[in-house]
Parts: sequence; structure tokens; C-alpha cells
Amino acid sequence: MNTVKLNTLPAPTFSWLGVNDTQRELDEHNAQSITLTEKRTSIDVSADSAFDINAQDGENKFAAMFIGGENSLQIKTNVDIGSSSQVTLVQVFESKAQTVSEVTARAAGNAKFELIQLYLHTTDTVSQADVTLDGRKAEFTANIGYLLDDSDDLDINLTAKHLGRKTVSGITAKGVMNGNARKTFKGTIDFARGCAGAVGTESEDVLLIGEKAVNKTVPLILCAEEDVEGSHGASIGRVDEQHIFYMMSRGLPEEKIIQLTAQSKISQTVNSIGDEQTAERIKLILGQGDEDE
Amino acid sequence: MKEKTTVADIDRSRYDFRFEEDENDFLGSGLTAQIVNELSAEKNDPEWMREFRLHSLDIYNKTKMVEWGPSIDELDVDKIVTYIRQKSRMNTDWNDVPEDIKQTFENLGIPQAEQESLAGVGAQYDSELVYHNVRKEVAQSGVVYTDLESAMHDERYAEMIKSHFMKLVPPTDHKFAALHGAVWSGGSFVYVPKGVKLEIPLQSYFRLNAKGAGQFEHTLIILEEDSYLHFIEGCSAPKYYEAGLHAGCVELYVGKNAALRYSTIENWSKNMYNLNTKRALVAEGGKIEWVSGSFGSHVSYLYPMSILNGEGARAEFTGITFAGEGQNLDTGAKMIHNAPNTSSYMNTKSISKSGGISTFRSAVVVKENAVGSKSSVSCESLMLDGISRSDTVPAMDIRTKYADVGHEAKIGRISDETVFYLMSRGISEQDARAMIVRGFADNVSKELPLEYAMEMNNLIGLEMHGSIG
Amino acid sequence: MSELLKISDLYVSAEEKELLHGVSLSIESGSTHVLMGPNGAGKSTLGLTIMGSPEYTVSGGNIVFEGEDITGESAYERAKRGIFLSFQDPVEIPGITLSEFLRNSLEQITGKHMKLWDFKKKLKAAMEILNMDSSYADRDLNVGFSGGEKKKSEILQLLMLEPKLAILDETDSGLDVDAVKTVSKGIEEYKARTGGSLLVITHNTRILESLDVDRTHILSAGKIAAQGGAELVEDVLKNGFDKYIGK
Repeated sequence: MNTVKLNTLPAPTFSWLGVNDTQRELDEHNAQSITLTEKRTSIDVSADSAFDINAQDGENKFAAMFIGGENSLQIKTNVDIGSSSQVTLVQVFESKAQTVSEVTARAAGNAKFELIQLYLHTTDTVSQADVTLDGRKAEFTANIGYLLDDSDDLDINLTAKHLGRKTVSGITAKGVMNGNARKTFKGTIDFARGCAGAVGTESEDVLLIGEKAVNKTVPLILCAEEDVEGSHGASIGRVDEQHIFYMMSRGLPEEKIIQLTAQSKISQTVNSIGDEQTAERIKLILGQGDEDE
Repeated sequence: MKEKTTVADIDRSRYDFRFEEDENDFLGSGLTAQIVNELSAEKNDPEWMREFRLHSLDIYNKTKMVEWGPSIDELDVDKIVTYIRQKSRMNTDWNDVPEDIKQTFENLGIPQAEQESLAGVGAQYDSELVYHNVRKEVAQSGVVYTDLESAMHDERYAEMIKSHFMKLVPPTDHKFAALHGAVWSGGSFVYVPKGVKLEIPLQSYFRLNAKGAGQFEHTLIILEEDSYLHFIEGCSAPKYYEAGLHAGCVELYVGKNAALRYSTIENWSKNMYNLNTKRALVAEGGKIEWVSGSFGSHVSYLYPMSILNGEGARAEFTGITFAGEGQNLDTGAKMIHNAPNTSSYMNTKSISKSGGISTFRSAVVVKENAVGSKSSVSCESLMLDGISRSDTVPAMDIRTKYADVGHEAKIGRISDETVFYLMSRGISEQDARAMIVRGFADNVSKELPLEYAMEMNNLIGLEMHGSIG
Repeated sequence: MSELLKISDLYVSAEEKELLHGVSLSIESGSTHVLMGPNGAGKSTLGLTIMGSPEYTVSGGNIVFEGEDITGESAYERAKRGIFLSFQDPVEIPGITLSEFLRNSLEQITGKHMKLWDFKKKLKAAMEILNMDSSYADRDLNVGFSGGEKKKSEILQLLMLEPKLAILDETDSGLDVDAVKTVSKGIEEYKARTGGSLLVITHNTRILESLDVDRTHILSAGKIAAQGGAELVEDVLKNGFDKYIGK
């Protein structure tokens, strides 16, 4: 076992905030190498793995990973997207054991990378994603949803690095924190010199339900290029008062409004999945499968 | 073809004058217990203060350098002369101030400003206050505005100072707070009694004159219940080739339902390391308003902290940072919500040009007990060319669900559409760009007192390349 | 006709500013009332206060619905009693679909579980009246809806929830002729099916053409300036508010 620093913030800040990195005891990474060659893959992951996803020549690949099981896990995913190609990666984390995931992706000109991550009652997850937008007009969208309970602990570190001209990134995170869950979301938009015309947006929307939940949000914009547009926003707390009034005026009590709103945070992420089968399976996990008739 | 116009550097010529120092006045470089003891003896410290300095030195030697933020590798603290005793002692009449010092201040326009609109001026020339005056009526209301050293020896304030000095910013806070604790010198002490509301601002003006000198002034302000004060702090230093250090400390105690407005325009010369620590503790129903402009320095680390410690306490921070060539300005604010129904509001702008680096850094902490609290942060950055850098590094740590926390940030450049729109109304491109930059800074300049807003406009000195008139 | 809503000497303020200064009016079961007045008169304030918006504070007077004082009740309790407000600018709520929302509302208001099949049937019928494409049912509530679609969505909810009193806050403003017709059809349907009461806040007559107006109230600067029958509407449209607001 080694103590390893994970999820290092690309630009460290006040150390007393405890967000510059997180430490875990890790075993030797005993990965089984798996190359996902099919156009569509849905896979259950319960052992250390190293995935490779490679899309070239206009290919469009879809991969869904359901990450769970009893044991602590280390998963590495390397995504390489050639010009005008596209990869959609869905990762559903539902493990009750320590999970460490690392996604590295590189997108060439006009390539598109779509990352959807759902963290459903995961006990201890450290998740990093580094996405490099290399080529002109490469695009990256991330939709992150989390639903945390009890003493769940989640640390996410996501970076979109803009190298190519007119590259576009959009990071959206929505989540619900119950009990005394702890979560740190670090999202970075990094505009390198030369990425003229690039646009990067980031937002996080957190609903705190638990009395003792601890939420940390660290949205960075690093910028070394003049001709860019970057923005981030965060909203943390309760349900918007106008939303409450609107829903109350249609007869919903406050508990119901909170419940519906909590569901909505996750469903927005689930709805961003184009793949019906994957979306249905997630709804089943959430207990939201199609009811009666 | 798009010809990019550039915004000229801040015109600092007004500040780049100095008078020769007598080398014999230097107490020696490098920091040892002996130096600290000598300094303490020189200043006739009470015994507790001498011990406090030695204790701080000990902490200083044991504390690691900060591990984030701009590099300060080039700063050799041991080489910075820590104390320069001015030949002149305290003066309360402007006519008694030595001629060369008077000349410096007159160049800065201080006495006029005092005459015109300020309740009192304390100016620190290097390490000691040389000029001090509080208008009679202000003094009659019970307001105390004096230098910290003499206040420490005045039995009316001695205990108050002992119980407040470096309690908000303890020497253990960070390495430069420890350094400050060991070698602090000069600065202001302000006490506003219960119910007294000062309509006119108090002002202090700091200057660093000696080559390679460090300035470690300490500002301690105590506002009792239901009082109001506007305190203005201005800083500038002429240009030298050796790196200078400023590690001041500001501690503000805002009593129940009291309000303090603290305005700063910082324009240290571009070889200065500005590692200043400012902190306010706000009691129930109290309010702190920070207005801060950062234009000078080679490297700045500056994040005023507001600790909202009583129910309903409020904090507002409005700031602007302008980083030009050779500057790395890391600025922002910290808001700590430590009581129910507290609120904080942060609004900042930063501008980067000619290779300058500006970083907005913030922390908003809402503790478990801060139910019903609200916080809103808005920061905007403007890149004026492609060789500069602008980073935004905010963090939020929220520990109660009974809070509303919002944050928004934007980065961009002057939009071509806006320039086009203004040009279509008959404004030249240069003027249009200057207008946009001025408009960008407007929310800060309108928060400043008039004479400072004018100074800021001078500082920005938005001359456009090739502009006519 | 029995009295459904009775507002007596109502004073309302928001952010320490008083907006309504002693408004009284009553609405009988099954009747149609119109509320008119210049911009900023306090019409929306009155509508939102009847619905129980937390943004407004009642500083005097009371609101009685079916004989019970509801002044201190939450919007949720008022909705359960049968009060409905069609918002001038309905909020967008991402992640909750229109049908999911309505089904929850309906179950809460009626206190009964509704079978999915029955619900869908009822929803489909209502949507047909309003010429709404069935795909709207699965779209997030008001998200990305145009102004007209939002108003239709409000009237759809009116048809589904069947309240006793519907307050329509400028439901017709910003709509083209066809959309006003559709919305009016929805309101007629509501009226015909439930016999409910209406308080219509409006600036023009088009939405009133198919309704028999029983009473008109003119609000000006937070006070009732005039009250009368249907003829008052005509007069205002022809001659403006001036003579009622003492100019």
C-alpha cells in the first residue's frame, strides 16, 4: 500500500481549504487491459481495469461502464478521438468500496467527446478526468450527476484543456447531498495560448438536503489567450424560492417539492444519455423504472 | 486588418521621486533575535511586546513558505532592511515636518486633501508616523486616531491594544504574518466609541522610500457598538532596483451594529513584493465594506478576510486589479460565515495587459452554524492582449443546507461588436476601447471617494496607442 | 350566489414598500371578474398575494376563502383549497417534466392516487383543446417554451387541476390572435366544465369576448379606484383610465 496524492488541483489555492489534493492508500494497480472496439459497448466493471477507446476516421463510439462490486477499484480509461470522430463515455459509479478512476482523453480537429458520469450513493470515489482539445473545433461536453447519502465521500477533478482554435467545452454538474455526505467538485477550464476563438463554460448546481452535508466547489478558469470566452457559475443551497412558490401554488407541499427537485438533478444528467438501454438501466438503479401500466 | 491598440502603462512618474537616505540609519539586514531585541529597545516596547516579537521570530523561522500563488523566490527576506528609523519624530504640526519629507507628501497632494475633505491624516514615511493630526471636533467626539506605538504607552489604550494586537491575524497564520509580528513598526490605531458616526473619512498614506526597505506597518481599528467610520489607506513607493517588501497587517474589529468602510488604493512600485494581511471581525448586525484597488507591486498576495461572527453581520468586497508588464497580482477576498443570517457579497474586476498576470482568488466558507446565510460572488476578467494571463481560482466550502450561495465568473476580451457599435456612433476605435476599459472599472471607481476615484483614473492613465488628444 | 373570495381592507408590502393600501373586493361562486389598471397599479401584487407569494407581506386586512381566513396560509394550502394563479411569467424548472409535475400536483390536490392510464387520457384530452403537441408532456416544465407556449402550459394546468377560483394574470399579453383564441377556448372549457370563478387581469378585451363579465375593478396606485359592471371595461378601453384615477 502506498499513500498517493490524487486529484491535484491544476492551480493550487489556500491550503487550509483542503482542496488542493486528496490522499488515498492504493494497492499496486493490477489492471486488466481492455480495448473497446465495438461501436456500442455496455460493460460491468468490478475489477481493476485499463480501458482504451479509440475512434478514428469518423467513427462514433459509445461505451457505458457500470462500476460497482465489493472490492476497491482502480480504473483507467484512455480515450483517443481522431478528427471528425466521436466518443460518448458513460460511467455509472455505484460501488460501496474505494474507487479511483482516471479518464484521459484527447480530441483532434472536429472531434467530439461526451462524458457522462453518475455517482449513485458511492461510498468513496476519487475521479479525475483530463480532456485535451487538441484540434481545431474539437468539442467536449461533460454532464456530471451525483446522489450522495450518509457519509459518502466524493472528490471529482475535471479539466478541459483548450489547445486548438475554436475549441468548445461545456461542463455541467448537478447533484444532491443527503445525510453527512462530503463532496468536492473541482472543474477547470484551461485556455492555453493560441486557442483563439475557444469557448468554455462550467456550472454546478448543488442541492443540499442533509443537515451535515459538506459541499466544496472549486471552479477554475485559467487563461493565457485573449480571444476566448469563459464563464462559470455555481449555485449551492436549497431549492430556488420562486420554484418553491410556483410548485406550491400548484398544490405541492415542500417535502414533495424537495423530493421532485432532487430527482430532477439526476434525471437531467440521465436524460443527456442518448442511449435508451443505458438510460433505462440507470432508471432501474434509481428505482424510477416505468411504473404500473 | 485589425490593428490592436494598446492601453498605456499606468503613469507612475508622479510617484517616482525620492530623497537620499543616510546609510547610517539602517539597522542592518538579516533577521536575528538580536536585531529584534534592538528594534524592540529602540521602540521602547512594553515587555509583552518584546516577548511577542521574539515569539513571532521563532514562528517565522519554523514556518514554511506558501506553496501556492505567484513565485517569491527572488525575494531574499534576510536582505531586506527591516527597519529604518526616521530622523524625525512624531509631528502634529505640518510646519514641523522636515522639509524633504514634506516635499514628498506635498507631491502626493496629501495636506491639501486633508484640508479639503479628510478628518485626519496619518502618513507613514518609511517606518514611523511623521505627521499626525485629527481634527479637533473629531477628537472631541472621543475618536482616537494615533500611531500604535504611542497608544501602546498610553494607559487608556494599553490594555485594549494588548488584547487585540495580532489576535485576528496571529503570527502562526502564515510566514509573513510571523515576520510582521517580529518586526512590525509604525501604523495606525483608531478607536471609535459607541454611537459615534464619523461623517468624514480618516486617511492614512503609506510610503516606502528607502531602497530595499521592508515596511511592516500595523493598522488596528476598533469600532464600538453603533459607530461608523470610513478609513482610507493609500500606498505608494518610488521605483528602485532592489526588491522591496511590504508585509503589513490590518486588523479591524467591527462592533455590534457598527459599520466600517475600508478603502485602499495600492500603487507600490513595480519591484515591490506586497504580502499584506487584512482581516475584519464583524459582530452582530455589523458591516464591513472593503473597496480595494491594486495597481502597483511586482508581486501581490492580498485577500482581505471578513469573519462574520455575529448574527446578521454583513461583508461587501469591491475590488479592481490591473496587472501590467512584469506584474503578478494575486488578489481576492475571503468570507467566513460563522453566525446565522450573515451575508457576503463580492464583486471584482481584473485587467491584464502587456504580459501581466492577474489572479482572482477567493474563499467563501459557510459554517454549520451559519444558517440562513447568503453569499454571492461575481468576478470578471478582461484580457487586453494575447501575451498576458488571467486566472480565476475561487473556492466554496458550504456546510449548511440553510444557505444560498451563488457564484459567477466571466473572462473575455473587449468585444468587437461593442467597439463597432461605439464606432458607428462616431467614436474612434482608440476612444471606444478606452471607454470600454473605463466602464469595466466603473463599479469600483464609483465606490471610491472622489479624490481617490480621480487618483485611480490617473493611475489607469488610459492613454490609447496613437490617440490624438 | 355564495361568496367565494372576500378581500377586506388589504395592505400589502414588499421590501419595506407598501404596494396595496386597503383593497377590498369579493368574488361570488361562478362569477367572472375583471381587474384593470395602469402599469404598476398593483394588479399582479394582488394576484400573487391571493396565491400566497412569500415575496409579499400582508400588513393589514385579510383574505377569506369560502368563509375561512387564509391570510396566513402557504401557497400549497391555498392551492388545495382550490385557488389557482396563471403566472404572468411562469418559471422554468429543468429536470421535471410537465406530465410528471401535473400528476404530482393532481394527486396532492385531490388527495387520491391516479392511475397512469387515466392521467394520460385526461392530459391528452386537455392538450387537444389547447392544440398542444403531445410531446410537450414529456418536456421539462416550461423549459425553452416560448411566451405563448408557457401561457398554454398554464391554461393546461388550469384544465387539469380544476380549481374553484382561477386568477389569470395577463394570460393574453404577448400572444398573437390565434394563440389568444386557443387560450380563450381553454378558459371557456374550464368555465363550462367546472363553473369556477375567474379573476382576469388584462389590458384588452379579446380574452373577454367569450366570457360574461359580472364585475370590473379598476386598481390605481394600490387602491380600488372604481368598480362596476361589464360596461366599465368598454369605457376604459375607449377613454382610458384617466377619469377613474383622478387625472
